[in-house]
Amino acid sequence: MSFLKHTPLAWLNLTHDRRRLLTSLGGVAFAVLLIFMFNGFKNALYDSQVQLLQLLNADIIIINTQKNNMFVPEPFARRRLYQARAFDGVEDAYPLYINTANWKNAETRTTRPIRVLAFNPQDSVLRIPEVQSQVSKLQAPETVLVDLQSRPELGPITPGVETELGDRRVRVVGNYSLGTDFASGNGNLIMSDQNYLRYFSQVNPEDEERDLSTADIGLVKVAEGADAERIAATLSENLPKDVKVLTLEGFVQQEFTYWQENTNIGFVFSLLTAMAFIVGVILVYQILYTDVSDHWAEYATLKAMGYRNFFLLGVVLQEATILSLLGFIPGFCISVLLYNATADATGLLMRMTVDRALSTLVATFVMCLISGAIAVRKVQATDPAEVFG
Amino acid sequence: MEANGSQPVSGGSVAIADASDLAVQIRHLNYYFGQGELRKQALFDISLDFPRGQIAIITGPSGSGKTTFLSLIGALRTLHEGSLKVMGRELVGMSNSQLVEVRRGIGFIFQAHNLFESLTASQNVEMAVELMGGFGSKRAQAIAVLKQLGLENRVDYKPNSLSGGQKQRVAIARALVNQPQLILADEPTAALDKQSGRDVVNLMQQLAREQQCTILMVTHDNRILDVADRIINLVDGHLESDTSMKEFVTAHDPKNLDPRMFML
Repeated sequence: MSFLKHTPLAWLNLTHDRRRLLTSLGGVAFAVLLIFMFNGFKNALYDSQVQLLQLLNADIIIINTQKNNMFVPEPFARRRLYQARAFDGVEDAYPLYINTANWKNAETRTTRPIRVLAFNPQDSVLRIPEVQSQVSKLQAPETVLVDLQSRPELGPITPGVETELGDRRVRVVGNYSLGTDFASGNGNLIMSDQNYLRYFSQVNPEDEERDLSTADIGLVKVAEGADAERIAATLSENLPKDVKVLTLEGFVQQEFTYWQENTNIGFVFSLLTAMAFIVGVILVYQILYTDVSDHWAEYATLKAMGYRNFFLLGVVLQEATILSLLGFIPGFCISVLLYNATADATGLLMRMTVDRALSTLVATFVMCLISGAIAVRKVQATDPAEVFG
Repeated sequence: MEANGSQPVSGGSVAIADASDLAVQIRHLNYYFGQGELRKQALFDISLDFPRGQIAIITGPSGSGKTTFLSLIGALRTLHEGSLKVMGRELVGMSNSQLVEVRRGIGFIFQAHNLFESLTASQNVEMAVELMGGFGSKRAQAIAVLKQLGLENRVDYKPNSLSGGQKQRVAIARALVNQPQLILADEPTAALDKQSGRDVVNLMQQLAREQQCTILMVTHDNRILDVADRIINLVDGHLESDTSMKEFVTAHDPKNLDPRMFML
């Protein structure tokens, strides 16, 4: 490895001036931070939309044919679930009822719309351990579990709080952690199907009445070892066409696709990410260009001594690589902190995954390489003859 | 003594040697700057021979082409007309990559030291050793040559903590470490005080003797003319005079006033 025996010129040039190095790394870290944040927001908006769906304890989902995203309130006949139970390989099928109601803030007395998720406490509908352990508390009338990550506008939500839901008394008996999305409004409540009847079977004439004969989402569990995809296909074929049958992944994907294709979230945040990337390229270019022009005579002397352009390109690209790696680390750490802070403040799902960290690292590296490639032209243009005189 | 350049001259007291003893051989060299209408001739029909081991000083007023002349011998520019042989290799018509190859056999000393501030004295010198692939011995070689130049106590100092003379000596060490047969120096003493400048040229003179290397030096510094075996005067791209040290002194003796001395 003759590479290691070389005087590490790139490293020494970068680290010689500590203050400048820190400024440079700050610049790269800032660009990394911008990329992480914009990507984080984009992913959070997508992830938040599907987080509830991913927690459904089902292999197959049955929904109304018209329900192509969670905003569509169309329910389907619950008897489709009884029909589904008759199929081979289907172990169980149970309904989840979803509705929106006004929650009164116990302190300020203002009301806020909130999403209500209701199911039979006997059915294990949500794969949230906190919910599963507290589900028995829901059997008392007019009781709910409240999401801790609901908007703070809901006011106090600790167990024991009594307030109103849809002009009817309600008592908080427990909490769990889920998070909000666009369709959930200010948060999520969980109640039993019996309580659901209490709140929604007799509503104002302008609102649609709901009872347990229609469900919003049907959850189907298949027998152990059974092929969910094949059973979903069978159900889809044999059930009446007023319902749509999807695997859980298919259901999550449908929601995801809806947000990708029908909103500008992707475009807006991709544009912002691209702009952060370009800002990064310009910043790093500025750093590398300054290094090359400040050391112009030294680089030209190296050329006069017999170093080839190729060597000098290597030095600049090494500097770019070092900057991208060293700048990524603080950028990443600050991003993780900001992700947590953002998640706490907004209830959005800011998720840092290995995939996302790695792809940003690659983007940072490419960013520095592009800057290096532009700055390198300055080195190539360096004329050793000009060092004389 | 006048030489109009069409006659090859090796100058001074050194006898005309055969081609293999020549470090540099120049015949009818023309050089132009620019292209098309803006083309301007910088050097006119220069023919000169420099034998091995000779120290030649090139003088002349600003813009006389002496620096251009030095950069051509240093293989820093591509050449098209005439003939220029350095250590027996014809530079005219060479590709850029071949020129780089030639440069590796030449030691360059510039007016500014051009040392990397981020590297120690030793590392700056080692950069030159690495060119020749001496990775194992580079530190030892660098220390040896720095010691020769009286810098054994400054080996791991960065240029910031060295004086002007010391920096220039590190630059000289970098030029000498690969023991080149030809050294090109452009105003090596310009940035130095009298004593440091003197020390530097004395060192160069001593090295030329010991290692039989040829030194071509462009300078305006009258204080160091005495180290030269030969003094070449360029005016407006023409070879104006080519004299031995002795003749130069006579010609410039105040008793024999010559207007050219005021150009120096």
